[in-house]
Amino acid sequence: MRKLWLIVKREYVTRVRTKGFVIATVGVPVFSIGLFAFAIFMATRETDHTLKLVILDSSGGLGARVTQGLNYKLANGQPEFSVVKIVEQPGSDERAREELRSEVSNGQLDGYLLIPGEVAKGGPAEFHTKNPGDFGVNEHIGRAVSDAVIAQRLHDRGLQIENVSEVVQGVELKLVKVTKQGEAEEKGQTFLVALVLAFILYTTLVMYGVSTMRSVLEEKTTRIVEVLLSTAKPFHLMAGKIVGVAAVGLTQYLIWTLTAALLATYGAAMASAFRPGASFPRFHIPASLLAYFVVFFLCGYFLYASLFAAIGASSSNEQDAQQLQWPVMLPIICSMVMFNLVLRDPNSTASVALSLVPFFAPILMTLRLSAQTPPSWQIGLSIALTAVTTVGVVYFSARIYRVGVLMYGKRPSVVELVRWLRYS
Amino acid sequence: MTGTTDAAVLERVTKRYDSLTAVGDLSLRIRRGALFGLLGPNGAGKTTTLRMLMRILIPDEGSIQVLGEPLNERTQDRIGYLPEERGLYPRMQVRKLLVFLGALKGLAEGEANRRARDWLERLQLADWSEKKVIDLSKGMQQKVQFIAAVIHRPPLLILDEPFTGLDPINAVVVKDIMLELREQGSTIILSTHRMEQVEMMCDSICLINQGQNILHGELQAIKKAYGKNTVRIECSGDGDFLKQMPGLIQSVNHFGAVVEAKLRPGADPQEILKAAVDRGVRIMRFELMEPPLNDIFIERVSDAHA
Repeated sequence: MRKLWLIVKREYVTRVRTKGFVIATVGVPVFSIGLFAFAIFMATRETDHTLKLVILDSSGGLGARVTQGLNYKLANGQPEFSVVKIVEQPGSDERAREELRSEVSNGQLDGYLLIPGEVAKGGPAEFHTKNPGDFGVNEHIGRAVSDAVIAQRLHDRGLQIENVSEVVQGVELKLVKVTKQGEAEEKGQTFLVALVLAFILYTTLVMYGVSTMRSVLEEKTTRIVEVLLSTAKPFHLMAGKIVGVAAVGLTQYLIWTLTAALLATYGAAMASAFRPGASFPRFHIPASLLAYFVVFFLCGYFLYASLFAAIGASSSNEQDAQQLQWPVMLPIICSMVMFNLVLRDPNSTASVALSLVPFFAPILMTLRLSAQTPPSWQIGLSIALTAVTTVGVVYFSARIYRVGVLMYGKRPSVVELVRWLRYS
Repeated sequence: MTGTTDAAVLERVTKRYDSLTAVGDLSLRIRRGALFGLLGPNGAGKTTTLRMLMRILIPDEGSIQVLGEPLNERTQDRIGYLPEERGLYPRMQVRKLLVFLGALKGLAEGEANRRARDWLERLQLADWSEKKVIDLSKGMQQKVQFIAAVIHRPPLLILDEPFTGLDPINAVVVKDIMLELREQGSTIILSTHRMEQVEMMCDSICLINQGQNILHGELQAIKKAYGKNTVRIECSGDGDFLKQMPGLIQSVNHFGAVVEAKLRPGADPQEILKAAVDRGVRIMRFELMEPPLNDIFIERVSDAHA
């Protein structure tokens, strides 16, 4: 056990000290925070000066209504928009537009709004501006035009309406998820939680699996493996590598999770400070889901990492390893391809069957668990099958590893691999 | 009984890979304190034998005892191993790597650290101890690998071609350390193709061919069994006259400056000297000796193949 510990420690320490690890571990949260802050900044940013607009109205009278609708105020109390003039013109006048275009481009105007005659029949209005990326402004103008058109249509049918927005106010559909524990308001968390959990599993299995494979291959090609084998059992070498890599992965996840937790707490507070009323969906991940996730995470990780280790041990170079890794990658990728199928109908025969297959179970059962709690016997059976398969796969991988690390030369065939299993 | 006097005992050991028998029914006894030469042509099964001693490979048949016990984890820790194919972690610091390998062999990390420093100092690698392995020259890596094999002061040291890649100065350093370790009681198994090294250093040998033990014993006794049947001559001319005496001489081996001639059984070396003087050849050196190990090796191996 002392040797296993030494091997794990070496693997962990050398990996954690690499530049790649530091960059990924620090870089990802910094990048995410940056992106998050930028998004909040962009979303809550308001122009600090009144925008000067000209309305080019070919609709015959909508211009005035739109102007009424553009009564938004900036944070400093100034109006957001100031309509300099409304140009009423029956048809399209290229010369007038040309003039406006140059005024916008030299900064005399912030933009001009084109309301064609077809707008009443559902045609589009156009807002010409130098900065079409300001969502707040765009939304306000869009709403003003919309309201004006709706009011006009109602007016044409004989209804005189003062405040259109109030009349056309839609109804929000709240989704409430019913679980055994009770009911919880759904704002897309189920999908998001499922996506995040499946993605964590997928990246871990692939990234750390391939990393384990490379590392085994490196020990083989540098031939240090023979020195190690003269002191430690092959199983300890393989297990030490897998556990060491896993510890590195967990360290990384821990750092990321803490950052995410901080972001979620302070980010929400920050966002609501910027923009009162901004609400964030509350993520409630039940403890049972987390517990199952850990079980499937560990089973899946050891299942695939030991296969990857066996591949690294059977190869003599990177190319061989890349070819051999495909059969192992395939079930992981398939699990992700079936993501939607399972999430849409987690209790269909296909979903149930697939989530019982050990190589798919880690990702697909986690998906089902995050959508709605499957019957206990299915969870139990899935865990049992996966665990038994994992133990078997680790055992056979260790045997292949033991023989493979000392074999150099051409890539072994499947027949040879099977023969290796029988070596004493 | 074997436990006390033998460092390693192999009894009827067989190792097969599919249809190939790498080692077949090999029995071998290595005395404690010996500097033992394991010889054999390429592919004879030397590496397989060493790997079985290291418990890297498990024999299909037969038994192996090391330092008085059947192979187990404890025996593994009491052996030092320098494999023929050298291997170190290229991106690890030299000293840290040695501490890791020493700790794997059972040393406490502090002790491993202290010893690593001493050894690096002794092999003139002190300035390189904090560098990565990859930054070292091949010869330096070779020395680091040697330290890794001896850092835990193993009672049994297995060295597979320890001198390849070393310049003459470092080769002498390594040789001196080997002799010193033997002085302190270690048993050393030396596997090499360099017969002159075996001849100068080893006290007992085993020659294996195609996985079989074909010659085994004390080096002096083996050579004595062949008798003084070889003359080494340093003379003017190219020693062509030797070829004109097929009745006396079985074979001639030219080395450039010296010629070695193997006598036929019963031939009188005096006759050769006389023939040389008669032909006006100037003799600088004329030595009657036991056959060089190289000749014994070649003879035994080609006999085995015949």
